[in-house]
Amino acid sequence: MTTDQEQAHKSHRSHKSGASSKKKKKNHGSSELDAKERNPKAFAFNSSVKAKRLQSRAAEKEQRRLHVPTIDRSTGELPPFIVVVQGPPKVGKSLLIKCLVKHYTKHNLSEVRGPITVVSGKQRRVQFLECPNDINGMIDAAKIADLALLLVDGSYGFEMETFEFLNILQIHGFPKVMGVLTHIDKFKDVKKLRKTKQRLKHRFWSEIKDGAKLFYLSGLVHGKYPKRETHNLARFISVMKTQPLSWRSSHPYILVDRFEDVTPPGRVHTNNKCDRNITLYGYLRGSNMKKGTKVHIAGVGDFASTGITSLADPCPLPSAAKKKGLRDKEKLFYAPMSGLGDLLYDKDAVYININDHLVQFSKVDEDTSASGKGNDRDVGVALVKTLQNTRYSIDEKLEQSFINLFGRKPPSASDDNVDANESRYSQRHVSILDREDDDRLDDKEVSDDDGKKELIAESESDDSDGDNNCTMDDDHEGDQQITAFSHDLKEEIEFHNGRFRRRVISSDYKYNGDLQDSEGDDMQELDDDDDDDDDLGDHMDVGSESSEGDEDLNSEDEGENVSKWKESLLAKTVSRQNGNLMQLVYGRNVTASTTTSQEAHDSSESDDSDEDFFMPKGERTKKLSDNLDVDIVDTEDSSKFNNIQLKDWSDEDLVKSIRDRFVTGDWSKAAQRGLGTEDVGDNETVFGDFEDLETGEVFKGTPEDNDKSSGSFRMGDEQEMEERRLKKLALRAKFDDDGSDLSDEEEHNKRKINQNQTDAGGYFDKLKEEIELRKQMNIAELNDLDEATRVEVEGFRIGTYLRLEIHGIPFEMFEYFDPRHPILVGGFALGEENVGYMQARLKRHRWHKKVLKTRDPIIISVGWRRYQTIPIYAIEDRNGRYRMLKYTPEHMHCLAMFWGPLAPPKTGILALQTLSNNQTGFRITATGAVQEFNHAAQIMKKVKLVGGPLKIFKKTALIKDMFTSDLEIAKFEGAAIRTVSGIRGQVKKAAKVELGNQPKKKGESVKEGIARCTFEDRILMSDIVFLRAWTRVEIPRFYNPVTTSLQPRDQTWKGMKTVAELRRDNNLPVPFNKDSVYKPIERKPRKFNSLVIPRKLQAALPFASKPKDKPARKRPSLESRRAVVMEPHERKVHALVQHLQQIKNEKMRKRKTKEQEKKKAYEAEKMKQEQLSKKRQREERKERYRREDKHKRTRRKVED
Amino acid sequence: MGKTSYVRLKGSRQFRQRLLLSTLSSTPILVEDIRSDDTSPGLRPHEVSLLRLIEKVSDDCTVEINETGTKLRYKPGVLMGGKYLVHDCGLNRSMGYFLEPLILIGLFGKKPLSIRLKGITNDSKDPSVDTFRTTTLHMLKRFGVPLEGLELKIESRGAPPLGGGEVVLGVPIVPNSLTAAHWVDEGMVKSIRGVTFSTRVSPQIANRMIYAARGVFNRFIPDVHIFTDHRSGPAGGRSPGYGLSLVAETTSGCLISTDVAISYPKADETDVMEDSEEKPEMLPPEDVGVQAASMLLGEIEHGGVVDSTHQGLLFLLCALCPPDVSKIRVGKLTPYGIETLRNIRDFLGVKFVIKPDPTTNTVILKCVGCGLKNLSRKIA
Repeated sequence: MTTDQEQAHKSHRSHKSGASSKKKKKNHGSSELDAKERNPKAFAFNSSVKAKRLQSRAAEKEQRRLHVPTIDRSTGELPPFIVVVQGPPKVGKSLLIKCLVKHYTKHNLSEVRGPITVVSGKQRRVQFLECPNDINGMIDAAKIADLALLLVDGSYGFEMETFEFLNILQIHGFPKVMGVLTHIDKFKDVKKLRKTKQRLKHRFWSEIKDGAKLFYLSGLVHGKYPKRETHNLARFISVMKTQPLSWRSSHPYILVDRFEDVTPPGRVHTNNKCDRNITLYGYLRGSNMKKGTKVHIAGVGDFASTGITSLADPCPLPSAAKKKGLRDKEKLFYAPMSGLGDLLYDKDAVYININDHLVQFSKVDEDTSASGKGNDRDVGVALVKTLQNTRYSIDEKLEQSFINLFGRKPPSASDDNVDANESRYSQRHVSILDREDDDRLDDKEVSDDDGKKELIAESESDDSDGDNNCTMDDDHEGDQQITAFSHDLKEEIEFHNGRFRRRVISSDYKYNGDLQDSEGDDMQELDDDDDDDDDLGDHMDVGSESSEGDEDLNSEDEGENVSKWKESLLAKTVSRQNGNLMQLVYGRNVTASTTTSQEAHDSSESDDSDEDFFMPKGERTKKLSDNLDVDIVDTEDSSKFNNIQLKDWSDEDLVKSIRDRFVTGDWSKAAQRGLGTEDVGDNETVFGDFEDLETGEVFKGTPEDNDKSSGSFRMGDEQEMEERRLKKLALRAKFDDDGSDLSDEEEHNKRKINQNQTDAGGYFDKLKEEIELRKQMNIAELNDLDEATRVEVEGFRIGTYLRLEIHGIPFEMFEYFDPRHPILVGGFALGEENVGYMQARLKRHRWHKKVLKTRDPIIISVGWRRYQTIPIYAIEDRNGRYRMLKYTPEHMHCLAMFWGPLAPPKTGILALQTLSNNQTGFRITATGAVQEFNHAAQIMKKVKLVGGPLKIFKKTALIKDMFTSDLEIAKFEGAAIRTVSGIRGQVKKAAKVELGNQPKKKGESVKEGIARCTFEDRILMSDIVFLRAWTRVEIPRFYNPVTTSLQPRDQTWKGMKTVAELRRDNNLPVPFNKDSVYKPIERKPRKFNSLVIPRKLQAALPFASKPKDKPARKRPSLESRRAVVMEPHERKVHALVQHLQQIKNEKMRKRKTKEQEKKKAYEAEKMKQEQLSKKRQREERKERYRREDKHKRTRRKVED
Repeated sequence: MGKTSYVRLKGSRQFRQRLLLSTLSSTPILVEDIRSDDTSPGLRPHEVSLLRLIEKVSDDCTVEINETGTKLRYKPGVLMGGKYLVHDCGLNRSMGYFLEPLILIGLFGKKPLSIRLKGITNDSKDPSVDTFRTTTLHMLKRFGVPLEGLELKIESRGAPPLGGGEVVLGVPIVPNSLTAAHWVDEGMVKSIRGVTFSTRVSPQIANRMIYAARGVFNRFIPDVHIFTDHRSGPAGGRSPGYGLSLVAETTSGCLISTDVAISYPKADETDVMEDSEEKPEMLPPEDVGVQAASMLLGEIEHGGVVDSTHQGLLFLLCALCPPDVSKIRVGKLTPYGIETLRNIRDFLGVKFVIKPDPTTNTVILKCVGCGLKNLSRKIA
C-alpha cells in the first residue's frame, strides 16, 4: 500500500483550450473581480431594517420549500414502477420500449401491447406502458404514471399531444417527467441542431421547471436506438423516485396487465351479448384494498368486485423469488398482453400460452376461443382437440369439483347456514390445492386419455348438498352436469379419531396426503386441548360454537398455504383466543362481506320462526334478550351498560382485588397491567419446545417469556423499551429516506437547508419523526397478525398481485378490448360513489380559443372517472352571493357547479369539450379543483320585474303587470322598487278592492297581481317601475359517464351535444330577439304646452314678470302696409350708387379669374419641376448604390 | 344514475349508530320492521327527534317514514354544522342519547357546530351531561381533536318526567381527519372527582350523597373531590331529581366515569318501561352515593382505558381514523360495544382484531381505520 502511495503520479494537466477551459477562465476571472471581496466595506450591512427584511425573506423562502410530510403507508415489496411512454404518433414510442426491454431482459419484443413488467434491478421492477394516441388513453395513462417519458420529434418540435399530456399530468398529480428528443439525426447542420436542442430545452423547462431533464436520442443504429444511449436512459429511469401523490396514496388502483373473460361459455353461446364476468389482474397500488371495495373501471363504469384474491407474483423480484429448481428460469419480464410470459397462473387454473403461428391445429375461429387466449394445453393434437370440444371450461369444472385436504366434522344437519359457509371454504380449498400443484395437475392431464381433468376427490353424503349450493351460487349449470361429473370422483371415507375424514386419492398425491393427515391429527389434538381453556379470556358464553368456530378458522388457515401451515402453527395457537372473541363479535363467517348483517338477521329469524310461531310476543322477545348472541331486532338503544351487578365493596377480598388499580396500591403490579400485551405469549410456554418435522428446526418457548413470569419489574420497562425500539427504527428509516429519497439537486437543496436550519427545522423534523414513528408502529402491530387476519383487517397490501373478479360487465368491453389502451381500475374511498352537486374552481385554459358557456356540456375528468356534465358558472360576489355567469371569464378563475359523482375537495379537475382525435388545436378546455360539495345549489341570478302604474294616489300607486298573482305579491312584500327616474319605493300589499282595484264589469273577479306600493315621491303615469331581485338557478341533474371502452376505439365517443353543435347539425339559425338589438337612441323633442297664467295672477304680477309675448296680429300693421315714393334727386343718387356698385363687382370678378389662371400655370410649372427633381434624385441614388456595391465587392475580394 | 341503492336493515336495534354510521359513510339505509311486532309499532318519539336533529345539522338529507313508522328510508346529506341551532330533544330520552352521535356528526361537518339542546339532562338510561362533559369530550383529545372548541355548557338542568334542561354543545370540525390512537395504558387511579346534581329538592341531599360516596372510596384513595351543583328556580328544570356523576382519573390520563340519576318515574311508564332502580319513591341519597361509588369501583375493576359506557364511542373513533393502526384496551366488551363493532364492520368495513388479555381480564382491540376524511369541509 505504502509503495502505491509513494509512487509519483502524473500531475493533472488541465486543458488549455476548448470550451471547458474558457468556462473556467471566466469563472476564475469573475471571482477575482468579485465586488464583494474587492470592497467588503461597501457590502457590510448598514441598515438593520434591511438586514431583518433579508433574513425574513430567506426564512420565508426556506419555509416555502418545505412540504407537509405525508405518511407513506406502503410496506414490503412495492409494485413495479410505471413508466408511461407518451408522444405524438410516429415518434418512436414502441421502439423506445422495445429497446429498453431489450436492454433489461435481452429479449426482442415483437410488438408492444399492454403493460410490460420488467425486472430492472435487485429491488426494482419497471412496468412500461405505451400511451395510446387518444385523449382518453392519455388521461388514463396520466392517472397511473409514476414517470412519464415524453417523446418529442426533435426534427419537428413540440406537438400538441405533449402539452396536452403535460397538462393532464399536472391536474392528476404531477408525477416525474422526463423529455426524450428523438429524430435528431434528421438535422444535417450541427449548428442548427444545437440551436434546436437549446430552444426545445428551454421551452420544455418553461413548462415544467428549470433544469428538467431532457434526454436526447440521436439516430438509429440497425433500427434501434444506440445501446449506450438506451443504457443511459435506463439508468435515469432506475434512479427516479416517486413522491406520494395525495389522490393516489389514498385510493387503491390497479393497472390491469391481464384480462380474462370467465363467463360460462354456455351463457355466451346462448346469448352472445349477455353481461360478462371478467377477471382483471394487476399489481395493487396506491393504498390497501379491502374486500368488497367498489371499483371504477375507467371508461366502463362502477362495479362491485365479486371476488378479490391475491395471486403469486408473476414477475417477482430476484431477491424475493425462491428458485425451486434449476429448470426454473428467473422470470425477468411479464407481459401477457404482448404475448409474453408462457404460463399464466390463475386462482384456479393455469393457462399455457402458445403463439398462434406455432399452433396449426387449433380451430381459431370458434366461439369458445373468445374466452381468452388459449385454454388449450401443449400436449398433443388429440388432447387439444378434445379440449376444444368440451362444453365447459376447466374453470367451471374446478368450481364444481370439491376437494378437501383435511377431514372435517360433518356439519350438523340442523344448521343450514354452516353448510353454506363450509361450501365456501371448500371452494377455496380446491383453488388452493390447484395452485400448489400446478405441475402435478398438468401431468395428470397428460395421462388422462379422455382429456378431461380428473379430479379425484370424495364427497360425503352430507356434502353433496354443499356442492349443490356452490353451483347454485355461481348459477353455472344444471344439476345433471354435477351428477355426471361426480362420477369421476373417487372417494374414501374413513372414520378417524372420532370424526369423518375425506381423503383425496390420487396416484402421486397419496404420500403427501398421508403426511398431512397425520399432521392434521396433531393439529386436531392441539385444538382439542385448546378447547378446554377457551373460556379463559372469554366474557360471553361461547358454548358449543367455539369448537366449530375453531374448526373453521383452522381449516381456513390451512387452506391458505398447505406447506406453510407449520410455521403459522405457533402464531395460530397464540391467536386462538383472539379468533374466538372475534368470532363472537363478528359471527362465524369471518370472510363475510359488508352487507351480510341482513342475511344473518334473516337466517336467525327463519330459525326462530318455526318454534316461536305459537309463542306470545312478549315472551319471545324476553327469551331472546336472555341470550346476547342472538340477533335481537328491537332492543333499547343505550350506550350505558345497566346490567352491572353491584358488588359490596366493603368485602375485603374484593377490595384486595382492585387494590393495585389505585396509586395507593402496589405500583409494580400495576405497571404490569399497563403493559402492552401484544405478547399474550404466556400461553406459548404451555407448548414448550417442539421440533418442526420438515426442517428440523427446533422452536423454543422464548426465554423472555419465562423471565416474564418471574421478573415483574422487567416487564414494566418493556413498553418503554418497545417505544424506544420503534423510535430507533423510525430514525433509521428517516435517515435512509433522506439519503435516497431525493434526486441530486433536491438533495443538494436539502443539505443547504439543513445547514442553515439545524435548529430552526425543529417542527418539520418533529413532524417527520412522528410520521415515521407512526409508520413503524403500524408495521409492528400488523406484523403480529397472521396473514389471513391481516388481510381482513387492513385489506390487501400494496404490491400484491391481485385477481379481481367482476360480474355483469357489458359485453362491449370484451368485444372492443384493445390491449393498447390501458385498463385502469380504481377503488373508492368512503362516500365517493355517491352523486351530488360539486363546486369547483375552474379556469379556462389559456390555449383554448373560446370562453365556455354556462349549460354547455363538458366532459370532466376527476378522480378515476370521466363523465359529461352540465356546469353552471358563477362568481362569488363581495357579499358572499354566488352570481351566475353566462360565460367563463377570459383570464380568471370562476366557480363551476355541476352534478356528478362526488370527489373529495382538492381533487383536480380537467375539462374537455370533445374527445375526437382529428381536432386541431388544444383539447383541454379548462382546469381546476374541487372546492366543496353542497347538496343545495345556491347560485343566484339577477331578475328584474317590470311594471307600470295603474293608478296614482299621492305617494302611493297601484302597480300592475309586475306580479301575476296576489300570492306572488305576498312573497315580495317589503321589497324595494324603483322607477326609472330614480324614485325609490316599497311593495306594500296586494291592492284592496276599495283602493280602486275594482272589476270593470259586474260579475268579473277582481284582477289579481296589482300591488299597492309607496314611493318617496309621487310618480308619473309614464314611469316604469321595476323590482330588482335574485332568483336561484337550478343546476341540471345530469351526468353521463364516458364509456369509451364500450365502443370501437377508432370511433369518438358521442355524448350530449352543445346547443351550438345542435344548431349546426340541424341547420338552425341562432334565435334572434329583436329587442336585444342595440338601436340608435332617438329622442323626440318634447313638446310642452304653453304656460297659462290666469288673468288674475297676471294682474297681480309686477311688470317684469308679466308675460310679454303678445299674440300675433291678424292684420299687418299700418307701418308695414304703407307705400314709399322717392324724390327725383333721390332717385338719381340711388341709381348712381347702384352703377358704382356694379362696376366694382365687375372689376372684382375679372381680377379673380385672372388670379386663378395664374395659379394654375404656377402649379403646372411646379409639378414639372418636382418630377424632374425626383428623377434626378433617383438617378443619383442608383448611382450611389452601384458605387457602394462595387466598393463592397472589391473589399470582400481583398479580404478573401 | 339517480337511483340510489339502499342498504337494507331490520329492526329498531342500534338505531342511533346505524343513522350515525350511515351519515358518516354516506350510505343510504332502509330500515324495515321497526317494532313491527310490538304493541306500539314504529319509531319512538325520541328516534324521530334524532332524525329531526340530523336533518337540522345536515343539508339535503331525505327521511321517509311510512304511516305506521315501521319502515324508514334515510339518505344522508352533507353535514353542515352551524351556529345557533336549537333542538328540542323531547322527554322520552335524555340528552345523552342525542349527544353521543351528535358529537361525531359535529366533527365531520362543514362548519363548527354550536347547538342548544332542550330536554332532560340527567336520567338513568343514558349517560348524563356531566359525564359527557367530564369524560366523553376528553376522549376526543386522544384522537387529535383540539379541546378548545369542545364545550358543553349546562344552562339549566332537567330531571326526567318533565325535563326543562338546556345545554349548549360546541363541537369544532376536524380539519382533515382524526389521528389514530395508541391507547392501552390504563394507568392507576390517582384521583376521583365528581359532581352531584339536585333540582327541586333540598340542597342537603347533595351533601348526603357525597358523604356516602366518600365513605366507599375512603378505603382506596384519599384524593376524592365531589362538587355539588344545586339548581333552583328556572335553572332547575320542571321536576325534582338528584344524582351523582363520578370520574376516576388515572396516572395515564384515562377517565373512567359512572353516573346515577334518581327522579320520579313517568306516570304512564311506571309499570312497563322502568324496571331498574326506579321505584315509585325515590332512592335515598345515601344509597345513591354508595351505588355510584360501587359502580365506579366496578368499572375500575373491569379495567380498560374507558368505562363500559364509552366503549362504543371509542370503537367508533378508532374506526374513523386514517388507515393507521389504533390500539386500545377496554374491559369486558359490553353488548352495546359488540353491536358497535358489528355496525362498524357493516358500514365502514373495518374489522377489529380482538385479543383478550388474560392476565388483566381486559380486551385489546386493534384496527386499521377506514380513512374517513372531512369531505364536507370547504377548501378556501
